[in-house]
Amino acid sequence: MKNKTIVSISTPLGKGAVAIVRMSGEESLKIAFKIFSASNLEISNITPRLLYLGKLELEQNVYEECLMVYFKAPFSYTGEDIVEFQIHGGTLLAQKVVEVCLKNGASMAEAGEYSKRAFLNGKITLDKAEAIIGEINAEAESELKSSLQITNGRLAEAILKQQEKLKTLLAEIEVGLDYPEETEETKLKTNIYEILRELYNNIENIVKQSESAKYFKSGINVALVGKTNVGKSSVMNALLGQDRAIVTDIQGTTRDNITESFSHNGIKINLIDTAGIRETEDIVENVGIEKSKTILKTADLILFILDGSEKLSKEDREIEKLLTNKKCLYVINKTDKIRAIEKFENEIEISALENKNIEKLKNTICNMVIGEEIDPNALVLTNERQIEVLKNAQTDLQTILSENFLSLDILSTSLKSLWQLLGKITGNTENEDIIDLIFSKFCLGK
Amino acid sequence: MEMEKFDSIVIGAGHAGCEAALALSRTGNKTLLLTISLDAIAFLACNPSIGGTAKGQLVGEIDALGGEMGINADKTAIQIRMLNRGKGPAVQSLRAQADKNAYHQEMKKTLEKQPNLYVRQGEVDSIELDGENKIVTTHLGVKYVAKSVVLATGVYLKSEIIIGKSRESVGPNGFKNSSVLSDSLKKLGLKLVRFKTGTPVRLHARSVDYDQMQIQLGDEDVRPFSYMSDKQPENKTVCYLTYTTPLTHEIIKNNLDKAPAISGEIKGVGPRYCPSIETKIVRFADKERHQLFLEPEALGTQEMYLQGFSTSMPADLQLEMVRSCVGLNHAEIMRDAYAIEYDCIDPTELSPTLELKTIKGLFFAGQINGTSGYEEAAAQGIIAGINANLYNKCKEQLVLKRSDGYIGVLIDDIVTKGTNEPYRMMTSRAEYRLLLRQDNADMRLTEIGKQVGLVSEERYAKLKQKKKIMQEIELKLQRLAKTDQKLINFCQINGENVPKENVKFRELLKRNNIDIFKLDKEFDLFDESEKTYLDFVNTEIKYEGYLKQQQEDVDRMLANEKNEIPKDFDYSKTKGLRDEAVEKLNKIRPLNLGQASRISGVSPADIAVLSILIKKKQER
Repeated sequence: MKNKTIVSISTPLGKGAVAIVRMSGEESLKIAFKIFSASNLEISNITPRLLYLGKLELEQNVYEECLMVYFKAPFSYTGEDIVEFQIHGGTLLAQKVVEVCLKNGASMAEAGEYSKRAFLNGKITLDKAEAIIGEINAEAESELKSSLQITNGRLAEAILKQQEKLKTLLAEIEVGLDYPEETEETKLKTNIYEILRELYNNIENIVKQSESAKYFKSGINVALVGKTNVGKSSVMNALLGQDRAIVTDIQGTTRDNITESFSHNGIKINLIDTAGIRETEDIVENVGIEKSKTILKTADLILFILDGSEKLSKEDREIEKLLTNKKCLYVINKTDKIRAIEKFENEIEISALENKNIEKLKNTICNMVIGEEIDPNALVLTNERQIEVLKNAQTDLQTILSENFLSLDILSTSLKSLWQLLGKITGNTENEDIIDLIFSKFCLGK
Repeated sequence: MEMEKFDSIVIGAGHAGCEAALALSRTGNKTLLLTISLDAIAFLACNPSIGGTAKGQLVGEIDALGGEMGINADKTAIQIRMLNRGKGPAVQSLRAQADKNAYHQEMKKTLEKQPNLYVRQGEVDSIELDGENKIVTTHLGVKYVAKSVVLATGVYLKSEIIIGKSRESVGPNGFKNSSVLSDSLKKLGLKLVRFKTGTPVRLHARSVDYDQMQIQLGDEDVRPFSYMSDKQPENKTVCYLTYTTPLTHEIIKNNLDKAPAISGEIKGVGPRYCPSIETKIVRFADKERHQLFLEPEALGTQEMYLQGFSTSMPADLQLEMVRSCVGLNHAEIMRDAYAIEYDCIDPTELSPTLELKTIKGLFFAGQINGTSGYEEAAAQGIIAGINANLYNKCKEQLVLKRSDGYIGVLIDDIVTKGTNEPYRMMTSRAEYRLLLRQDNADMRLTEIGKQVGLVSEERYAKLKQKKKIMQEIELKLQRLAKTDQKLINFCQINGENVPKENVKFRELLKRNNIDIFKLDKEFDLFDESEKTYLDFVNTEIKYEGYLKQQQEDVDRMLANEKNEIPKDFDYSKTKGLRDEAVEKLNKIRPLNLGQASRISGVSPADIAVLSILIKKKQER
């Protein structure tokens, strides 16, 4: 029996220095090796139940150091192959690791699924059955609640609308396949690909909006880097100004690096200092560097603070190297003096001393992370699974749009899976719905 | 007098009854086939055609299992077409105009020639249980006894024909109906519902003005329905396409008070896919015209079937309506259109074997189960026949899965979800339709037919031969095509990149602009016996990726399907399932987790809980 390989974060969200992301299923190891590498480690020579220190690829060329352990079936919690990643604490990083696993072929674990599998594989004794049933029902209920929340909201409407569009298109295609003789009635009147492209754009929008929406909940994480004496702390103070907020638990960062937060247009902006990015022999400071590198990986935006009155130094260039492929803004400070530094494509001139262009900097931060046209009340997808569904839908649509050899039966089959996929969010997956639409829309029959 | 004893009795000799009776007698059961009229055997009561979208697939599957419908249709086809050409192989379906008289006669002959099968005219009034045996009593008081009974009564139960104000207690086409059996079924604990269907007018061919219509020709290059028929189908007749006019619509709109389907006179639930012309006009008021097809009923008659013109309007109005259509201004009606109401059962009372859950050895097939269509009926008939035989022999019964064929989809749908209108098969109901094609029904089902003893040696040998040839074709495609001038030219002409090194023909075949026929023409790869199957191989290779993907879906589904629920499982005594789920599960009593997951109102969390509960029960 082929079970899907499932993944989820298995430590409590938000707290703790370490988070664990767990996969279970036949493909676990295969997926792990697509994203994790350690020296001399290969799929053929891995030893179960041994911790491996290595690198996990979060994005192209963006790595996170972490520990990996493999439990070989049946000697694991679920009785299946299990791979666990132990990563730095914080929800955002853990979510990112889950996302990478999903991208490489895992599926989100269903309510109580680990325990269910453990039970079905005889790993949990009979007397625990009631407890597991309780777990499944409780999780299903809380998921139902969160899906009910969106069902009432504008998001549900937006997704429903897309699903309805798809349904109409499906009905139009299907009726032509099932009633080829009723040519009067069933001629395809719409441009399928035009509709699909529109659908793609709409879904992309929803995903984008939802991703930005999470910033309204947890704030934007902005890391400040720069060598000493460029005025990092004065920039920070200028930003904090009168709007200084109380620092609370911030997801995705290790606490001791958080400096402070402030609020701008209702959005919380967390400033994270990264003192100590410098190659050094000092062991204590080395720990600091590793920490700082992690911050750079998970920050939503990096402010690269430079002294505008000086030419770019060797040290600056070392730091710049760490910023490749990251969302980054060059902040040219000390513009009260004569500018000596070269021009950068993505720069902003400020003077922390004279409080010049600080508002502009705040706006730029928000715009770069969230985009300009974000309505704070816009669509919010809270549930990770729902975002996964939409992202999968995007991928599927991309595949459909890129195919040039598609007969109607294939196209329609792909569209139906897509429709069912969206149904995981809206709850509408009854095939009969499409058939109902066919008969209400088209006049058919002998 | 002592009752005559049979292994099985089949009640009704329509399309379901014929397949059931043949399946039973061919597997060695002494079988009695009772019919109200010998002249109504395999009667094409409505359209004179077999096949069509999804239905063509059903015919192929019935044939692959060792059934008769495909063979009989091939014998009696007078025009044949392949629908949906160019829309992809999964949705291509054969449709044949059948000679209505010949279809009945040929089937009757086949039944009469069949050893072990006793065909008798007689109306059944009651079925009673005598221990494990069933006693069947006819209207004339004759009693028969059998181990198992298949009910295939079609639309005959308490049927009434409605035309305008006239409501008559008769069967289709004026045959006698079955007026008492319904009550006997109620006594056995069955709940009955009332469905409705209808049929259009039949016109005299000489009264039609064909010049104003569009001629519809058959296809010359199609294969027959049956894997056993070697003869290329021949087109012996033509059909015509015409339309209603604004006048037709006006006449109908002005007389809606006389339409039983609109006025509420007809209470039975009719199929949405088969509305009467007056229903079409009311529901789609903005449509300017409706398509009508004129199809010959048989070669030996002048009667023409007017597809699209089903109605229950009064007879005089019918004539006025018909004469307002294009080319029908002088039409003579030979038979009036009518609506028919009838009793049927709730199919969720059946197990997926088509056996009644509450009475072992009692099987139901065809329109009595709330379906519609000859092919749907025959498909259930053959399964009911197969399972009645297995029941007689105390063997495990056959359940076709949704991934085995349209038959599996059809039965699973009706027994798991029920139906609130006469159920028609559609390709959109089959989620694995890329795998359930007309061209591979034998590959999917003949082995199963062989296991249940219905497939003849001859048919099985044909399948083995086909598989052997398939392998040879595959071997040839594995050969390398050399990058010589010939290949370069071939690729260039077809607008494809020239491969840099030698490449397998199979790989070339995957290119968009290349198909197996082009390959064969250019490189002369295949011999005569192989040419028959090129189309099939072409599909399998070109669609390989999609087929593989769908197969993976099937494998996932089957994992749940293998998870059987104990027959005596008591849902009401469990903890953790929601009340709604308990109620639904108790009613349907699914065989396995897969079927359970398709019941509406049962959630994925319920299925997860159920899997735990089953495991728990097994371990106790």
